[in-house]
Amino acid sequence: MEMILAGLMDSLSPVSLIFVFVGVFTGVAVGAVPGINGPMAIALFIPLTYYMSPLAAIGFLVGLNKGAFFGGAISAVLLRTPGTPEAAATTWDGFPLTEQGKGEKALRMALFSSVSGDFISTAVLILIAAPLATVALYMGPPEMFALISLALTVIAGIGTKSISRGLIAAAAGLLVGMIGTEPVTALPRLTFDLYRLESGLSLIPVAIGLLAFSEILIQLERLKSRASSEEAARTFSDKPEDKYVSKKEFFGCTRTLLRASAIGIGVGAMPGLGAPVASFLSYDQALKRAKRPEEFGKGRLEGIASSEAANSAVVGASLIPLFVLGIPGNLAVAMLMGAFMIHGMMPGPLLFEENSQLMYGVFGSLVIASLFLLIIGKFGLKLFCKAVQIPAVMLYPVVIFTCIMGAYLGQSSMFDVIVMLVFGVIGYFMRKFDFSYVAFLIGFILVPEWERALQQVVITSQYDPFLFFRRPVAVILMCLTFFVIIRTFVMGMKKKD
Amino acid sequence: MLANVVITLASVLLLTWAIPVYTPAYPGYGASPALVPIVAVSVMLIMAILAIIRYVLAIKSNAPLSEEESTYPDEGGGSGFTQVGRLDIGHLVKFMIPAALLVVGIHTIGYIPSALAFLLLLQFLVGARSWIKIVLLAVITVALMYAAMRYGFGVPVPGN
Repeated sequence: MEMILAGLMDSLSPVSLIFVFVGVFTGVAVGAVPGINGPMAIALFIPLTYYMSPLAAIGFLVGLNKGAFFGGAISAVLLRTPGTPEAAATTWDGFPLTEQGKGEKALRMALFSSVSGDFISTAVLILIAAPLATVALYMGPPEMFALISLALTVIAGIGTKSISRGLIAAAAGLLVGMIGTEPVTALPRLTFDLYRLESGLSLIPVAIGLLAFSEILIQLERLKSRASSEEAARTFSDKPEDKYVSKKEFFGCTRTLLRASAIGIGVGAMPGLGAPVASFLSYDQALKRAKRPEEFGKGRLEGIASSEAANSAVVGASLIPLFVLGIPGNLAVAMLMGAFMIHGMMPGPLLFEENSQLMYGVFGSLVIASLFLLIIGKFGLKLFCKAVQIPAVMLYPVVIFTCIMGAYLGQSSMFDVIVMLVFGVIGYFMRKFDFSYVAFLIGFILVPEWERALQQVVITSQYDPFLFFRRPVAVILMCLTFFVIIRTFVMGMKKKD
Repeated sequence: MLANVVITLASVLLLTWAIPVYTPAYPGYGASPALVPIVAVSVMLIMAILAIIRYVLAIKSNAPLSEEESTYPDEGGGSGFTQVGRLDIGHLVKFMIPAALLVVGIHTIGYIPSALAFLLLLQFLVGARSWIKIVLLAVITVALMYAAMRYGFGVPVPGN
């Protein structure tokens, strides 16, 4: 109890509050710009967190992620261009409202729905993460090895149309993650005699290159087809009923919000699915259960509520597998895992044992970030609407320069800048040929833990190949891994037929 | 297809040369340091070969290629947010050369002149033509970054 109170008090310290506030504010602003999403913003801002305390750093990044989720709705509603993939379903009812002059109302509904979904999911996370982590403590190296194998297989399907290309990407991530000093022999491995590689590749330049730099290279190709800034200027009507969401309208969506939050939590807690799945699934359910489904897609508030509450509910829930098992379920969480590691902590069940005060501080920051999102969104709505109008010819060069300097900032090393540029090019090719950079990055992050578990299994079993068969949980997880692979291939063959 | 051929060749090269040469010898306990790299590369190799076989079979049977087997499966977006389009090496080179020159420039002429030149050139390449705005944005960005590094984070400014 003392730890809980101490953690919560830490989250209320002025420094922590300021960083969470700045994180949410920045997240909404960058999320509103089409082409910049939450994980990309986290990758760009992680180098700054080197200079913060662990709680301020995690609070800042969590705030950034939460803000970006809502920010994505701004350009979705105003431009019909979702700022983030998960906001795509928001465009269907948000943009028609903008065309009717009710853009501000649509954005307010998106904000209230986002905050509701986020708040419910954060509450669930706080209630179940610590007890589940206690159970997860009973998992040994065989279970961890099997679990990470399963996670890598499931995650291979993210961001690609083909699981085989996803598996190639995940395997490539594992391979790149093994560059550096081998843990058992303490000798260099796959370093090609370059001494700079002996400490391994740092997450920051790899993530900035894959997520941000390559994305901007692709966005620059599409520059001519982007919606003009004038399009966003024809939005708001002055009538109060077109600007504000009444209590009746909001509470009329209660069932939709609760259902959407439940879907978001369920999807978020399962590695590999992600927020876009949650918002589409939730929108589909809202449509099926609506009394007047014909009104969906023409500017129905319920449509916005279903999409936004679901995708925001994913944020808190996706931290459950990270805090309980040390498995990142999606890209944003993978980046947060990287931030934990930068500050010397390994996410997983031991986190509650070793850093319980910090963890309760993080929980406090999550709740505070939800409140800040409500305040910042409510009072800064018109300001953020300007963010969608920033000319790309000004924005993208600055983002490219920030990528380069961000890679440098991590370790004050120009070598990291070169690594970032190399991974920017790799990311560009991966996107063009549909190899999942998400799977690559998660493989890269998870490989040290995976290899450590494997080494522990081999050493403790004394080369007994039947050790796995004496651990039922490990057997089940490995069977699930093979099932996922075989099922995907069978489904692929059936689809082809 | 092209990507899978490159991956196959790279995997063979890794298995036959890079892993044997640049991996420590087995120390006599635990798993071999080469085990996980070999597993990872084998997965890449098997998946790439399977994709090539599927492609060849589809061509032989004159069946139309599925979206998954085409060279640019995600050309129109869908699995991710961005519509990625086709490979444009000219575009890539146009932005990578200034970035590489910036790295060299920071080492040779220092951070401020090379960063200014980089931002001026980049804005021009992106399509900005208002020189007042271009210069202002470059100066402000470089100055802010310099101040952040020197006074904010206390890290050495690169090249200085």
